Amino acid sequence: MTLGEPRRWVGHALPRKEENRLLRGRGKFADDIKLRDMLYLRFIRSPYAHANILSIDVSAAEAVPGVICTLTGAEIVPLTQPFIEIGPDPFAKIKDYPLAVSKARYQGEPVVAVVATSPAIADDAAEVVQIEYEALDPLGDGEQALQDKSLLHEEAGTNRVWNGVFEYGDVDRAFKDAAYIVNIDRLHFHRFSSTPLENNVVIAEWNPKDERIYYSCNNSFPSFAIQFLAAHLNVHIDRIRVETSDIGGSFGIKITSYPQMAVCALASKKAGRPIKWVETRSEHMTSSAHGNERTFRDTRVALAKDGVITAITSRHIDDCGAYPRYEPLGCVIWSQVFPGVYRFKNARIDFMQAVTNKCPVGPNRGYSRMQHLWFLERVVDICAHELGIAPDEMRLRNYVRPEEFPYTTPNGCVYDSGNYPKMLQVAKDLIGWDEWKKKQAAARKEGRLLGIGIGTTLDSGTNNFGQSQIVNPGLPYSGNSQGANCKLDIYGEVVVAVGSCPQGQGHETTAAQVVADVLNIHPDLVTVRTGFDTERNVHTGFSGTYASQFAVSGLSAVHGAAQKLKAEMKRLAAFTLQTKEDDLEFSMGAQGPEVRARGNGKSINYWGLANLVNANTAALPPELYEVTLNCRYIWRAPFKVPDKQKKYGNLTLTYASQLHICVVEVDRETFIPRILDYGAVDDCGTVINPPIVEGQVYGATAHGIGAALMENCVYDAVGNMLTSTFSDYTPITAVNMPAVKYGHIETPSPHSYSGAKGMGEGGAAPIHTISAALQDALFASGIVIADSFNNADSLFRAMVAKEIGQAQKLVRVERRV
Amino acid sequence: MYPRAFHYHRAGSLKEAVAMLSQLGGEAKLLAGGQSLIPLMKLRFANPGHLIDLNFISGTSFIKEEDGRLRFGAMTRHAEIEDSSAAKKIPILHDCAAGIADVQVRNRGTIGGSLAEADPSGDWATVLMTLHTELHCLGNQGERTVPIEEFIKDAYTTALAHDELVREITVRKPSPNSGGAYLAFKRCAPVYPTASAAVQLTMEGETCREARIVLGCVGLTPIRAKQAESALRGAAVNEKSVSAAVEAARTASDPQPDMRGSAEYKHTLVGALVKRAIDVARRRALGEKVELSHIYA
Ligand SMILES: Cc1cc2nc3c(=O)[nH]c(=O)nc-3n(C[C@H](O)[C@H](O)[C@H](O)COP(=O)(O)OP(=O)(O)OC[C@H]3O[C@@H](n4cnc5c(N)ncnc54)[C@H](O)[C@@H]3O)c2cc1C
Repeated sequence: MTLGEPRRWVGHALPRKEENRLLRGRGKFADDIKLRDMLYLRFIRSPYAHANILSIDVSAAEAVPGVICTLTGAEIVPLTQPFIEIGPDPFAKIKDYPLAVSKARYQGEPVVAVVATSPAIADDAAEVVQIEYEALDPLGDGEQALQDKSLLHEEAGTNRVWNGVFEYGDVDRAFKDAAYIVNIDRLHFHRFSSTPLENNVVIAEWNPKDERIYYSCNNSFPSFAIQFLAAHLNVHIDRIRVETSDIGGSFGIKITSYPQMAVCALASKKAGRPIKWVETRSEHMTSSAHGNERTFRDTRVALAKDGVITAITSRHIDDCGAYPRYEPLGCVIWSQVFPGVYRFKNARIDFMQAVTNKCPVGPNRGYSRMQHLWFLERVVDICAHELGIAPDEMRLRNYVRPEEFPYTTPNGCVYDSGNYPKMLQVAKDLIGWDEWKKKQAAARKEGRLLGIGIGTTLDSGTNNFGQSQIVNPGLPYSGNSQGANCKLDIYGEVVVAVGSCPQGQGHETTAAQVVADVLNIHPDLVTVRTGFDTERNVHTGFSGTYASQFAVSGLSAVHGAAQKLKAEMKRLAAFTLQTKEDDLEFSMGAQGPEVRARGNGKSINYWGLANLVNANTAALPPELYEVTLNCRYIWRAPFKVPDKQKKYGNLTLTYASQLHICVVEVDRETFIPRILDYGAVDDCGTVINPPIVEGQVYGATAHGIGAALMENCVYDAVGNMLTSTFSDYTPITAVNMPAVKYGHIETPSPHSYSGAKGMGEGGAAPIHTISAALQDALFASGIVIADSFNNADSLFRAMVAKEIGQAQKLVRVERRV
Repeated sequence: MYPRAFHYHRAGSLKEAVAMLSQLGGEAKLLAGGQSLIPLMKLRFANPGHLIDLNFISGTSFIKEEDGRLRFGAMTRHAEIEDSSAAKKIPILHDCAAGIADVQVRNRGTIGGSLAEADPSGDWATVLMTLHTELHCLGNQGERTVPIEEFIKDAYTTALAHDELVREITVRKPSPNSGGAYLAFKRCAPVYPTASAAVQLTMEGETCREARIVLGCVGLTPIRAKQAESALRGAAVNEKSVSAAVEAARTASDPQPDMRGSAEYKHTLVGALVKRAIDVARRRALGEKVELSHIYA
């Protein structure tokens, strides 16, 4: 677990290397790139949520001057294979194509593509494409879809994508012995998304000369995309080159852009020219990807007399939209945090996933785990309020204890480290808990509705892809890996390449810090090439930037490659300086960084070393021919394949944790909830670069506050998406942000070389925290917070119209003592 | 999305713009700040064949104090009004200008464009209806003056003829014992309010001599809540009269449900906003300096 080298740079608040470029507007984003003879693609999308496509007439569009060609679903079927399905039969039978073939299954689904010499001409042509639809009744809700009264995908014979029971411990016994049983009828986690500044962009060129496909795009998990694309397009995977440059945010949502990438390649093949597609904001809102919506039914919680939770049973229905495109992976990914931060040992969760006539879901910051963590935090708060136990005390009684780490969860996950009670104390101190308690008591006397809420969450990072076998035993994936390359270039420059595609996470900086420590040089002397490029040859099957892992997987690979390079440099220097390897030291000399022999005082600088290998090779003895100073290293996470039957095993390597506290007041006249104080405490183990971590915490906090109070993907009864513009969706802006007080603790991970844990997703802590605070404010009025989205209108509906959140209707407590 | 192709004309004077309008016919539209028109064109909801750009005509953007009135050139930007010390003397004008959308929109959008657009959610018409406001319109036949109440006809509909434009807006300065306030609830800055309330009160001691209460975003046009005004006029502004006014305002509102809120909620919300706006207007009328900004989610 220790480094073997002193840490001068890891842990240092080094300003970001990429700042200079990005803040001056000198970044290079996909839309900045123009290829010769490039054409522009526009999708024509289904206005219906569910409809048969009766006819398509593109003749008028093709007659518009400047239009090169069009593309329809029927046209691409003979040219392609349906996309790979991750899930098992019967859902594996569905035929997912990137353009609707005979039926459209969500509003915004691409039906026709038009290719023209300018985007404006493509828009003109899109207006004259004639498509005849026959509208069908849409399925707007997962629970309704599970009844299978009508089907989205006839081939599957069901709308149920996946179903599995996760059962551990002795549930029946725990319920028999319980002092209290709390029944919660229905909880609902809403659909929301990410709104990266930069929408999806794809440039594709299918080169007819060598049948190669070149992509310049902002997909954030290209290793995953090319595996889907190669199979779909019937090409060898090494013929697909994907390059990414600067990316203006993804938050996971750009992982599932492979269908659009496929259309662009096919259009390029047809047109014989490169194609660019730039998504509009409304397209992004209706049809890129949304986060998973989840309903929790018939929850039963067994508790001991002191409020310790002993067992939970529940039925979870996940709504994945029209096509399971990363799904059903979400059906297992939540179980990385099966018990959340709590100690209960007995549980049975019946998990199912349904397709509905809504935008397909994709991994959205906190993917699949935040829904579950929110559920657990609701359970804890509802039980606490119903049993009259203070929510902070309730948590302390149920938290995994500091001395229990590494802690094995009922489903075999190993929580590497943490200290939740300490985080609670730090967060309380941050906001002045005792003061707020007094103010709350005073406010209540005046009839004001003031609540204080706690949210404790996990950000599990570095997946064991073996968990995919729990959803489909036939899948050939397990473990996790990342690649990196570290070399001395011909003139001795240190150059690092990684298989990540950062979207603001500062990989250039942190990778340089790691290498700087290995070689004992300044990070400015390390050039880092980020941005994915298949031809750089550093990626593995899991490369990309997603799922809170770069600090562990990416930097471990960088560290491994740097150490490999250092070992080669030592061999070479020992020969040249005629000394032993352990007599060598790495330092700064008059002619740049060098390796020096302590004994005889001789030294050789990096240029000298590189020159021996590259340009002065006659001076190199044959026994050193294997030294290349160009070192590729593949890091592999120490995982086993989980037990598929028992659904047991370690699913993630590190568990960063977050503890937020929020004070909220609901205005009695306007019902507008206002955040009066907000504290966010983060523990991601050893911090590599404090400002980068802090920035991620602020970003995740903003995203979560937006999701809790402002951002909701709303569909009407016929499946129209009502929030397809920013005026309706209202993503959070600075005006809506409270001043966030930031704090942190460090419990180093024993599972990563540096003690760091992956972070960035943040577990959607604000959603849990704000739900908790609102319930604290309103519980005395008979209200429990049963939905993750709460705005003035919904609080009005709970408090005045009494349509939602009525404790009496939703919660029933059985008291056995 | 990109707009459909259109012809672009740069008018050298307002007269020329009027001439162009009548020459080019129904396919022509004026371009002011473009903050309503351009988004609609990009979505292809509006597809004018000709755009007549007013942005290069000098002397159309000004704020002047004259004969107890404030005169605004139609092309005066929201941001210029926000920053104007003359406009600050009528606090409700500053409340309005400073609360429109975000900096980018305020830097481009104009008061004339906003009134001509007559968006049911637009802020200016609501606020200007609490004051004595006239629009000076220039057409082929010459100039005419239209009071704001007659100018706004319906949602997106004004008294302007096709070949007529707004040249200037004049607002009579309220008396020194008069104060106003404009308050909206907005989910975030660059969106229209969920509901808003504009109140202008003239006070004599604690007694209200004159009241104007106009509700925004809760009907197809701004709604003047006359019953609410009567509840205050001639009365002491106290809990009783205020709650009567609030009740009357709620009754007068006629909101539609949308993503900003249900109709029931907006009914309730607009009442709460009226109550707070009355309080600030009263204090301002009595000479107190009160900072006011909208409520954001
Ligand atoms: C993101 C966003 C948020 C917004 N939020 C708000 C808000 O909160 N509150 C608010 O009030 N507004 C808001 N707006 C609208 C903004 O205030 C606009 O500036 C205003 O509605 C139109 O003014 P304009 O100068 O931009 O007019 P344009 O868009 O150029 O024109 C609008 C219409 O008026 C006509 N027109 C323009 N000038 C004249 C004239 N002198 N005589 C006759 N006709 C004319 C045009 O032909 C056109 O039909 C928002 C706009 C955006 C883009």
